[in-house]
Amino acid sequence: MVSGARPSRADYYRVLASTLPSQTLVVTALGNASYLWAAMHHTPENFYIEDAMGLALPLALGLSIAQPARRVVVVEGDGALLMHMGALVTVGAVNPDNLIVLLIQNGVHAASGGQALTSPALDLAQLAHSAGIVRADNVATSKDCASALNAAFDAKGLQVLILSTEPDVEVVRPPIAFDPVLTKHRFMAAIKAPRYVPTMFGGGKLEGE
Amino acid sequence: MIKHTQQHKELHRPSEILDTLIHLGFGAAVAVPDGWLGEILVRIEQEPSMRLVRATHEEEALAIACGLRLGGVRTALIVQNAGLLSMGAGMVCLAQRYQFPLLMLVSYRGTAEDPVFYHIPKGRATEPVIQGLGLAYVRADRNRPIGPQIEAAATYADESSSPFAVLLSREDIQW
Repeated sequence: MVSGARPSRADYYRVLASTLPSQTLVVTALGNASYLWAAMHHTPENFYIEDAMGLALPLALGLSIAQPARRVVVVEGDGALLMHMGALVTVGAVNPDNLIVLLIQNGVHAASGGQALTSPALDLAQLAHSAGIVRADNVATSKDCASALNAAFDAKGLQVLILSTEPDVEVVRPPIAFDPVLTKHRFMAAIKAPRYVPTMFGGGKLEGE
Repeated sequence: MIKHTQQHKELHRPSEILDTLIHLGFGAAVAVPDGWLGEILVRIEQEPSMRLVRATHEEEALAIACGLRLGGVRTALIVQNAGLLSMGAGMVCLAQRYQFPLLMLVSYRGTAEDPVFYHIPKGRATEPVIQGLGLAYVRADRNRPIGPQIEAAATYADESSSPFAVLLSREDIQW
């Protein structure tokens, strides 16, 4: 990393991969948020979102409610957050104690080629505080990210980290197939989610593993 | 299959909806308010076997519901038809693309039975938009018990691995 420049997404992902406790579920937003994470740390407990901009955070909120015994990390972008800022309010209201939100703040719409954000320099930590989220911090170095993530994983509680990042507009080629249904089934099998049993087998409900 | 009573005309239809959700093991509902939905959402909040999440926008609610289902919780999405009009991208890019089974209970405003001037444009657009999205749906039949209709819709959603919408009248859903 060039001195003075912000860390790259890959820098932060290296920190995340090295601090991530086993059993943690990771939801990643569209574009390189998913492609790069798949390239660096693919596991069945990753849920990769393609397109559906702004919906990684609310999806992760639902997942954190459904899986209260697992830690859930979501990687969302600043542009995506602006698109569905209400989700931050809902996260604050629900206040799940197993959710860690990593907001990549690169100031652009990286996934669409680096086009300008409506407002690139918002204080997203302040926004999170206003949404009722007590632990929300701006982070600008890999070292601070490591400290913050270690602290977040050591203690229960909703945590939002805003990661100041250099834009990465060059698309990373993921090493795995990004088939959405495969992604879903692989994830649900890994967490042993209850499955639906069809009515012709006497089911009609979800049944546990 | 639930054994529904023959004296269905005496049943309180919103209660029947809630009882059906509970019986089928729905552990959560995600909702955005509408005037008709207010009380049933309170009743869900008071139901120990269910969790209600109040979202700020219907597309956000859709994503929360997908996350709950991803985590193994059978989930209902309860919104006004305005929400069907505003959640289109999430519907096709997330719920349908990833094949999430979701039961959608939709208050159907602006129909001939609900001719409120500001609801009418939504009522007129609702079914064409649903059809354009390729979303499976049914308009609830007020002459039949609502419980079995909800059960059939929930079954359709899960057996097709897709969202399924039930368009509900005031009598169906307003407590």
